[in-house]
Amino acid sequence: MKVVTGVVGNDIHVVANRLIDISLQERGFTVFNLGVNTYLEEFIDAVIETDADVLLVSSLNGEAEGWCRDLGILKSKFDLSGVVFMIGGNLSVGEVSTEEIIPKFQNYGFDLVSHQSDLNEGLDELEALLKERL
Amino acid sequence: MSKILIDIGSTYFKVSQDEGIAQYFRNFERNIYDDFQSRCGDLLSRYAKEDVHICSSANGGLSTLIIGLTHSFSLKYATNIAYNAGINIIDTVLYSHIHEYTPPQEQIDVVIIVGGIDGVKNIFDDTLLDYLKQINFHNIVYVGSDKSHSFMQENLENILILDNIINPKLQVRGEELKNFLTNLYQQDITGKEDIKHLYEFTSNQIYSTPYIVNRSMGMMHKTFEVADPFILIDIGGATTDIHYSRDLVVDNIVSESEYDRLVFKKLGVFKSRDSLVFSAKNNEFVYELLEFLNVTENILEEHSDNATKILMQLSIFLVLYKTSLHHNLYINLQLEKLNSIIFTGGITKVLQFEEVEMIVKFFCKKLLHFHQIPSLIIDDEYKIWTLGIKGSSHVS
Amino acid sequence: MSLLQREREIIVANEYIDNFDFDEVKEFITNASKNLFISHKFKNSDNILVQPRGGFPTYDKVFELYGEFKASNVDVLPLTIDSNTRLNDYAMAKKMLALSEENDTNMLNGYPLVNHGYRTTRKMMVHYDTPISLRHGTPDARLLIETALASGIFEIEGGPITYLLPYSKNFPLDKAFLYWKYVERVCAEYSKLNEPINRESFGPLSATLQAPAIVIVIQLLEMLLSLEEGVKSFSVSFSQTGSMNQDAVSSNVIKKLARKYADKFGHTDAVINLVYHQWMGAFPYNKNSSDALINTSTVIAAIVGANKIITKTRDEAFGLPTKESNAQAVANVKYTLNMLKGLPKIHDEEEEENLTLQVDEILEAVFNDNADTLWRKVFNSIKKGYIDIPFSPHIINHNEVITVRDPQSNIRIYNKGNLPLSEKSFAFDRDKIRLGENESVVQKIIQDIGVML
Repeated sequence: MKVVTGVVGNDIHVVANRLIDISLQERGFTVFNLGVNTYLEEFIDAVIETDADVLLVSSLNGEAEGWCRDLGILKSKFDLSGVVFMIGGNLSVGEVSTEEIIPKFQNYGFDLVSHQSDLNEGLDELEALLKERL
Repeated sequence: MSKILIDIGSTYFKVSQDEGIAQYFRNFERNIYDDFQSRCGDLLSRYAKEDVHICSSANGGLSTLIIGLTHSFSLKYATNIAYNAGINIIDTVLYSHIHEYTPPQEQIDVVIIVGGIDGVKNIFDDTLLDYLKQINFHNIVYVGSDKSHSFMQENLENILILDNIINPKLQVRGEELKNFLTNLYQQDITGKEDIKHLYEFTSNQIYSTPYIVNRSMGMMHKTFEVADPFILIDIGGATTDIHYSRDLVVDNIVSESEYDRLVFKKLGVFKSRDSLVFSAKNNEFVYELLEFLNVTENILEEHSDNATKILMQLSIFLVLYKTSLHHNLYINLQLEKLNSIIFTGGITKVLQFEEVEMIVKFFCKKLLHFHQIPSLIIDDEYKIWTLGIKGSSHVS
Repeated sequence: MSLLQREREIIVANEYIDNFDFDEVKEFITNASKNLFISHKFKNSDNILVQPRGGFPTYDKVFELYGEFKASNVDVLPLTIDSNTRLNDYAMAKKMLALSEENDTNMLNGYPLVNHGYRTTRKMMVHYDTPISLRHGTPDARLLIETALASGIFEIEGGPITYLLPYSKNFPLDKAFLYWKYVERVCAEYSKLNEPINRESFGPLSATLQAPAIVIVIQLLEMLLSLEEGVKSFSVSFSQTGSMNQDAVSSNVIKKLARKYADKFGHTDAVINLVYHQWMGAFPYNKNSSDALINTSTVIAAIVGANKIITKTRDEAFGLPTKESNAQAVANVKYTLNMLKGLPKIHDEEEEENLTLQVDEILEAVFNDNADTLWRKVFNSIKKGYIDIPFSPHIINHNEVITVRDPQSNIRIYNKGNLPLSEKSFAFDRDKIRLGENESVVQKIIQDIGVML
């Protein structure tokens, strides 16, 4: 299974990015890590060039919303029906409940939304979903 | 033994010997070889073939069509490689939307197909073949995923397969394609009737002039008062070349070169004069600029020495404008960080330093809101290509 | 006029610079007070010099900060530069400086030196008559350094690798080498006028689980690149690793090898100093723990025989410290150091031997690259992954090296990626690592990053 990952927008949380990278590798995924400061178009393009099964976008500085609103438009331009879209990290600035955030990001086009939860739990969820889809 | 260096341009021949540089305006009644022979034949007979080094932009350079999978990777990488190899005309097609592109009518020298890292299957299908059927091209090369090699070989006659330009880490790997395109230029020369005989004068490879100029970029400091980051603007009769320091762009290419190249094919002052005037008229700043230069719009229709000067000034402005953040291109240059601008090519013979300075001042004031301008260098002795060509003879 | 001088004229002819007068600057440096030169202070002091961190946008706030530090008997003053200036975005720095001045708030995370200019800044530096160290993080620092030196700031931190790999994603590394070459040359030229300008490398890198071998290799290479241009006073540095023994081992090896390689390359007259950074990783939220951490690192600095220590404050986990708490930290460190004079050295022969071997192996591979200049050999080595630092955002960094702590808290190489280490020197590290039952490497890394929390 191939995963494209990276940190979206003007976000420089390199430690989190690297930990996700190593975790995915430990779980047997082939990882394409675009690193920090990555834009949504680059993510989509990398999924296409690698024929990835999963796009795992992370965001730690709470600015994810502004960068991900256009996911739907981008998804409609290409045939990405087989790809699982996941976003995780700290998805909003200030006190917003997880119940509010999850549907919002699902509406943008993410299949899995993981807000302020443990990295391992998030990746367990991802693996469960992938198994389900098989 | 001293060497003789020759640049064959679309409007001038330039000849450099130890004594200095001479230039000859082309006689368009004759073909390049005959014209050159009649003017420089005697001179050349004094040099051994291995001491003659020729570069040329006279055959107009190669035209390229790149068909790629995405903007961020395949098209961007291939475009970068092609410009640096001295290719002048580049059109790109995003493969997923290929049906939206009108196939080019003119002859294409080389089609480049690219997409996918190695191991990715089923990227290209009959849609590609149908599109290619509508195009008239000389060469075709594939530099994408290895899994499409057999599809390409089975369906496209004479297709050349090279290393994937996208490595498994999604980074660019361009050496093989760049060498291929550079050599193709050589073959193009040997295939063109009026210049292929140039090889009678030299036993060295004839390179394209922009390729040679790009080679000189790293040596610029030794000859000119120049500070990085800088750009070099080469405004010729047909095309305008920009060579720029890599730190003026923000992108994720781990480059082999410190300087990359970019071409505006339609901003030349002679061959592409009409399109230059057209883009000038459509620029939001042009009327202010003409006023600043103290001329009226009518000058654009005139054919006088003064009109040529104004056109050249316009061309400088448009080139800067088009590379700036005000214009969306395949790349944008952070011109506010520029420390120097070097001008070379035909304009150095027409414009005075002050006339170039004026236009740069206007640009900096209008678009960057700067009062200070970068240091300007006018290469009116054509030192730049001699630097590059000497560097290249050094290597071989 | 020399090529360098011509380039300098172009660099200072900048939109944001008001008439840079090289002759006047030369005269100022020639006649400047010896007290402004840290190289002079190193020579004439037996004590560890204490330097805090800090910088504010406005002149007045920096002036007040320096006043507080001086009251704590500080040895070296810091000048931290804002992040817009680090990216050469002087337009934004100017705007934010104006807002900071108008509203008496800090709209910048440091002092926009280029915008303030040298004529203004120099007044403050001359007033305090104490060495100032420039802390920035700029790949293209040419204009910044011209302004700093003209202001009386005679210690310049940074380097093409240490100021690029931890901070930038895609600034071209080859350009960074060339821009730093300019900086070295300017420092070298001014060094002839009075006391030498001191250059300091930035050993903490991304401040997260950095393997000593890689840190030392980078320190030595930046040192050589600097000395090669004529710099005569250079500080190598590293930050507290989290293991006192590893700090002792690192300092013994870096001192020995810095001298060895400087001499080997013909720079026998260059003075090499050692700088120790108090803990640069994630800081505890409990301020009592912070005090203990800071105190311990002060003890370590004394044991390893550092020439300078760079301090942290107990408020580190909570953002920028106030000037009072920053000054208090300086006073505390000075107080502790007073009890730590003339300590004997700690040696661990086996560890030192292996670390020396690792550094020599990597350096040998770098020197064997077939490029014609040292900077290009280093550039190629980074591209090949011979030098690879954990947790760098830069696209050129290989990001394959993985490090974790052993049971004694020493940082060890778990995955060597492309580092040109022999089986022997790698196994020495790797064999000491113990993962718990069912413990993943990632869990271990997370735990090790948070070792001080």
